[in-house]
Amino acid sequence: MKSVIQVENLTKKYKNKKAVDDLSFEVYEGEILGLLGPNGSGKSTTINCILSLLNFDEGIIKVLGCEMSPNAYEIKRQIGVVFQDVAVFDELNVYDNIDYFCGLYIKDKLKRKKCIMDAIHLVGLEEFTKYYPKQLSGGLLRRLNIACGIAHQPKIIILDEPTVAVDPQSRNNILDGIQKLRKKGATIIYTTHYMEEVEILCDRVIILDKGKILAVGTTDELKELVNIEEKVTVEIMDLKKDILNEIKNFPHVDSLTYQNPILSITYKKGANNLVNLMDYLKKESIPYTKIYSERPTLNDVFLELTGKDLRD
Amino acid sequence: MLHNFKYTLKTLFKNKTLIFWTFAFPIILGTFFYMAFSNIEKSEQLDVIDIAIVDNEQFQNSEALKQTFLILGDESNKEQMFSIQYVLLDEAVKLLEDDKISGYLLIEDTPKIVVSSSGINETIFKYVTEKIIQVEDILSLAIKEKSEQFQEEISKNPNTSFDIDTWKKEIYQEVLTMVNNANANIIDISNHNLSYTMIEFYTLIAMTCLYGGILGMVAVNQNLANMSNNGKRVAISPTSKGKIILSSVLSSYFVQLIGVFLLFLYTIFVLKVDYGTNFPLIILLTLIGSLAGLTLGVCIAVVFQVNENLKTGMMLAITMFGCFLSGMMGITMKYIVDSNIPLLNKINPASMITDGFYSLYYYGSNLKRFYFNVSSLLIFSLVMIVISMISLRRQKYDSI
Repeated sequence: MKSVIQVENLTKKYKNKKAVDDLSFEVYEGEILGLLGPNGSGKSTTINCILSLLNFDEGIIKVLGCEMSPNAYEIKRQIGVVFQDVAVFDELNVYDNIDYFCGLYIKDKLKRKKCIMDAIHLVGLEEFTKYYPKQLSGGLLRRLNIACGIAHQPKIIILDEPTVAVDPQSRNNILDGIQKLRKKGATIIYTTHYMEEVEILCDRVIILDKGKILAVGTTDELKELVNIEEKVTVEIMDLKKDILNEIKNFPHVDSLTYQNPILSITYKKGANNLVNLMDYLKKESIPYTKIYSERPTLNDVFLELTGKDLRD
Repeated sequence: MLHNFKYTLKTLFKNKTLIFWTFAFPIILGTFFYMAFSNIEKSEQLDVIDIAIVDNEQFQNSEALKQTFLILGDESNKEQMFSIQYVLLDEAVKLLEDDKISGYLLIEDTPKIVVSSSGINETIFKYVTEKIIQVEDILSLAIKEKSEQFQEEISKNPNTSFDIDTWKKEIYQEVLTMVNNANANIIDISNHNLSYTMIEFYTLIAMTCLYGGILGMVAVNQNLANMSNNGKRVAISPTSKGKIILSSVLSSYFVQLIGVFLLFLYTIFVLKVDYGTNFPLIILLTLIGSLAGLTLGVCIAVVFQVNENLKTGMMLAITMFGCFLSGMMGITMKYIVDSNIPLLNKINPASMITDGFYSLYYYGSNLKRFYFNVSSLLIFSLVMIVISMISLRRQKYDSI
C-alpha cells in the first residue's frame, strides 16, 4: 500500500506540556484512518501540525512524499480540511461560501461550478443554496462546513470531528457523504471521540490519549486487545441471589452486574455463551423480556488501555 | 486576487455593523455637528471678548502693541475682537476676579497674559496676544538687524546714499520671511473667518478616514489562521498569504473611500459645508488619510494577539482619542495640545488630517504646512506597513 502521509516522531509542546508526544504513523492511499481519543488527547494538534499551521518541536511530516511546509502549494492543492469549528462567512450564502473557498484552489470558473454543484449534492444542500448560514440549522451548517472543505475534490481529506453537536439525520447524511468520498478514491483522516462512527467508517484506527498512541489497528484487531469476547444483557425481574451466583460460575464469565431488571454479563473468550445462558433460564423457568449479545466496543478497548471512559 | 477582492467586498458590504460605523455613523454625527455648531457659530460671531490692558509706562512705550490693540478693540470696526479697558494693575486683577473680563495683559520686562480659566475666549485672547507679541518681537529684531547692517555699511563707506523707500521694502521683506519662518498664524485666529464648524467637520473626516482601519482589521482577521476559523481555511489553501492579504486590504480601502466620499457629498450638498476649492489636494489628503487609517487597522490586527472585539475597541479608542486631541470635542483642545505638547499632534494621524484640511482652507496659497501633513501621514502609513509586514512574515503559529 502506498503511504500518502508519514508522521515520524512528532512532538509538540505548549509551554512545557507535551500536547503530542513522539507520534509516528502512516496513512495509506484510499483508506479511512480514524484518530480516536478523548478531548485534549492531541488529535486536532496533530492535524494542525500536518497542515503546517502549527510549529512543532520535533519530528518530520511528509505528505505525498514531500516534506510539508506552509509554501508547499502543490501539496496543499491535494488536501481538503473540515475543521471542528464551522468556518464559513455569515455574509455569504451557501453557494457563495463554497465558491469562495473552492476558488482558492480552482481558478477555472466552469470547472469550479461543477465542483461546487457536486459538493452541494454530496452533502444534500440542493434546496439551500441561497440560504445564509444564520438561516441554517446546526446540522445543515455542518454540511455546509464539509462542502466548503471538500468542494475542490482533494485526494486527501481531513475531517476534524465533523459531527459534533449534529442531529442524527444530519449525522447519517454526513457519514454517507464520507463513504461516497472514499468510493471516489479519497484518502481520509477522521478524528472523533465517537467510537460508533469510527467503527462504521474507518479501516484503521489510532487510539490517542495524552498525545501518545495507545494502539493502532483495524477495529477487530483493537478489540482483540481486550480480554472480553462478548457482553450479554438480559431483562429479568427480581432475580434471586443464588441464581446470580450460579450464573457467575458459568464458564467464561468475567463479571456480572444486576440492577433490577437489567442483568449484564461480560464473558472472556469462549463459544456458546448466549446459548448456554438461555438454556439455563429455560430450564429454571425464569421468564425474561429481552436478551441480546454485544461484541466489545472501542470504548471497552479504551477502558482496558487507560482505565477511563472515552468520554470522561 | 480578484476572486478574493470580490468576495471581501461582498462580505464587507453585507456586514451591517461595519457599514453602520463606516458609512452611516459619520453622516449622523455630521448632521448633529451641523445642528449643534451652526447655532454656536452664529452666537460666537457676535461675541466680543472683554479684556483689560494694564496701562503702564512699558505699554505706552510699545507703539506696535498699542496700535494693534487699538485696531482689535475699535468699536466701529465690524471685525472688532476685543472690548478693551485700559486700567491699573489692581483694577485689572479685580475685574478678572469679578469675572468681568476674560483676561488682562501686563507689559513688564516680559509680557504677562493672565487668564482665570481655560474657555474659548481666554484661549483666543491668550493666543492672539502671544502672536501679536511674537510679531512685534520679530519686527523689532528685523529693524535692529537692518539698522546694524546699515550702520556697518555707512562706517565702511561713508558716501553710501540713504534711500528710505528701499530700506522700508527690505525691512518689509525681512519681516515677511521671519513671520513665515516662525509660522505665525495670527491672521486666521484674529479674523473671524475661523469657523468652529469647519474644525469639527475636519475632525469628522479624519475620524471617518481612521475608522476605515476597522474594515482593514476585519478583512485581515478573516485571513489569519490564529484569528478566525475562516483564516485557518485560507491558510491551508494553495494561495500566497501576501496576495490574499493585499487583495483584502485593497478591498477594504475601496469600501473605506466610498464611505469618506459619501460623507463629503453629504456635507457639501446637504449641509452646505465649504471645504474650499482645491479639490485635487482635498482628494489627495483624503486618500492618504484613509491609507493611514487603513494601515493603522491592519497593524493592530496583525501585531496584537487578542480577540477581534478587543482589537476593534483599541482601534475605536485610538481614533476617538486622536480626534479629541485634534479638536473634535472642543476646538480649544487643538490649541492646548499645539501649545503644550506639539509632538503629540505630530504623531497623531487625526491631527495630521485635520491640520491638513485646516491649512488647505486657511493658507490656500502657501502649501508648505499642507505638504508637511501629507508627508507625515505617508511616513505614518509606511511605518504601519513595515511593522505589519514584519509580523505577517510568520508562516506558522505556536498555538491557534
